[in-house]
Amino acid sequence: MSLHPIRLTVNGKPEEATVPAGMTLLEFLRERLFLTGAKEGCGAGECGACTVLLDGNPVTSCLVLAVEADGCEVRTIEGEAGEGDLSALQRAFIEEGAIQCGFCTPGMILSARALLERNPDPTDAQIVESIAGNLCRCTGYEAIVAAIRRAAKEERGRR
Amino acid sequence: MLGEFEYARAKTVKGVCALLAKAGGRGAVLAGGTDLLVTIRQGRASPGLLVDLKGVKGLLHLTVSPKTGVTIGASVPMHAIVENRGIRSHYCALAEAAWTVGTYQIRHRATIAGNLCNASPAADTATPLLVLDAVLEVASPRGERELPVRDLFVDSKKTSLSFDEIVTAIRIPAVPSTTRTAFLKQQRVRGHDLAILNMAGRYDPASGDLRVAIGSCAKTPVLVPPLGVPVPPDAPIPDLVRRLEALAAQVTSPISDLRATAEYRKALIPVFLRRLLESLLLERDHREAIR
Repeated sequence: MSLHPIRLTVNGKPEEATVPAGMTLLEFLRERLFLTGAKEGCGAGECGACTVLLDGNPVTSCLVLAVEADGCEVRTIEGEAGEGDLSALQRAFIEEGAIQCGFCTPGMILSARALLERNPDPTDAQIVESIAGNLCRCTGYEAIVAAIRRAAKEERGRR
Repeated sequence: MLGEFEYARAKTVKGVCALLAKAGGRGAVLAGGTDLLVTIRQGRASPGLLVDLKGVKGLLHLTVSPKTGVTIGASVPMHAIVENRGIRSHYCALAEAAWTVGTYQIRHRATIAGNLCNASPAADTATPLLVLDAVLEVASPRGERELPVRDLFVDSKKTSLSFDEIVTAIRIPAVPSTTRTAFLKQQRVRGHDLAILNMAGRYDPASGDLRVAIGSCAKTPVLVPPLGVPVPPDAPIPDLVRRLEALAAQVTSPISDLRATAEYRKALIPVFLRRLLESLLLERDHREAIR
């Protein structure tokens, strides 16, 4: 298998590595950078547990090769909180009880983050659509939608 | 690790074709990867070399003009199609079809060219492109050629492209300004399922030109044979449905699979024809709104 040098930015920090062609971005994040927030669920781009932001867009990192991320900017759940302070989205997930087992939460929050960056005042239908690619087996989704609605309101209030 | 393969990225179309030619049938084009990487992981494909298109700058262009039509570069993601105002207003069936593909995560990676070249019978963007007379720009070490989308599909998961050819762009000719298009899709779970049946239509009330394409009901997406006469906007819809259903039966042969039975698909065709005709002739909205 061919080896490829890559340079990318992960959560604002420049990274350099040499990766085999078959390594996924998810494997690179988890096994090389030890950023274990993104999870592997289905491995087929369906469950969304591996969602990260690639150049600002939500992608399933199990379906992106690490070598494809060369030159890109990656954001993971580890980059969501500020210095010693949770983000509005993270706090809203806690306050609304939108977390149970927590496996889907990093992906949910990044899908929600991508939504709020392109649309700070989403309708409930837009919130539901934004997380259509993130499966949750625990919450029944209502609390997650409420958390995103709440975080959107808080972030709008700060502008 | 997804699999044992080599990876290469070329900067030009010529470079991509040369790499594919050298791989001699063991190469695969990597655009969004949302189909290819899943098939590799599941062991249904084992290419020796993935040639990434994303290093070729010229393949990211998207131009929309009511006068000259649309050109979609091979690397343009579905999301860009959904978001494009020109496509949404003049070629809305294509934007709606792209909108129903997967989820945000998938639509940010998947491409129209990939959706076509994967040659699934259920390919959502194939039906609007069929009724819009789309043409593919194809490149190989032997040069460039044009290939109408209707001549691309050979069988389920098989195209007429040779192993060293790539689609560089999809071109949709300009349509008369009075043209209406519509796309309908039946699926079990939005974002997580392929089409049980999809259908696209195009109608020009000024000329009476009506075209319909159906997906997921044959080995490939198919164009329904033409009615042969102009259709006035006040044409009785039940009669049109009967005639189109008979024409559709000539080119469809639904099967039973994990998504639906053949009987269900067969029963769905006239229902979708009625909804499609109501959308096109009466502008009654049966579509799923883009949110």
